[in-house]
Amino acid sequence: MAKSIMIVDDSATMRKIIMKTVRAAELDIGETREAGNGAEALEKLKASAVDIMLCDINMPEMTGPELVKKVRELASCAKTKIIMVSTETAQGIVDDVLASGANGYISKPFTPEKFKEKLTPLLN
Amino acid sequence: MMVDEACLNEALLAGAAEVFETMIFMDIRESVEQEQHPKGDTFLGSITFKGDMEGCLGICCSVSCAKAIARNMLGMTEADELGEAEIADAMGEVANMVMGSFKSRAQKTVGNLNVSIPTVVRGRALDASLGEHASRIVINVNIADEHTAELSLLYRQGSG
Repeated sequence: MAKSIMIVDDSATMRKIIMKTVRAAELDIGETREAGNGAEALEKLKASAVDIMLCDINMPEMTGPELVKKVRELASCAKTKIIMVSTETAQGIVDDVLASGANGYISKPFTPEKFKEKLTPLLN
Repeated sequence: MMVDEACLNEALLAGAAEVFETMIFMDIRESVEQEQHPKGDTFLGSITFKGDMEGCLGICCSVSCAKAIARNMLGMTEADELGEAEIADAMGEVANMVMGSFKSRAQKTVGNLNVSIPTVVRGRALDASLGEHASRIVINVNIADEHTAELSLLYRQGSG
């Protein structure tokens, strides 16, 4: 069954690129949603959960890790898999976002192959 | 902290090359000509950082080059309409990704860095400044043998 996905990034360009890359990875993705910030993402997730959330780390107002913690408080999103997508590669930061409740991490720049490798286990 | 300028130079160029090849599908190489700062109407995408070292990384290029970058990133053709906001957003993401790629390459030299949200401005004779006691690396590059751009890194010792 196709999985639903939400892309959270303050850059509209990056949201489009991630969407394009996910499509190019030929994954079994159904419904796709976007949010330009953490608050918008939370509103949309409260209305309806998704299977996978791809989330930036450095965002204004609410950072990625702050959003992850709030999503983890939503009972409806208990099964939502969260993958951080960011230029941050410092091990300390990656460890922190995983500790905050994220399930994985993809670093920018990325390729369709990298998305396939990280997302395929979550889709099965 | 002693900073190896050659290492930073190499990390900046290699980081930018990775981003352009992987995400923008354009080749870049260092220009052999001693070109001047981009002239005319330009976009400057920049991102600041703090930590063991503090400063600003920037990419400055002509409007036509910025449009080509944005189109390639988004998989658009020349026939597709491209707004000013989309170009600026794309240039900000380029600065952000080059910073990330640079940081991962230069981590042993620069230590831990916290980066800002990228900013983009459009205008003439744009230049970033850190004031006194700052070092500057400038690399002129050719993009896809059609455009030129300037990569810059301004830095000084940080407060940790």
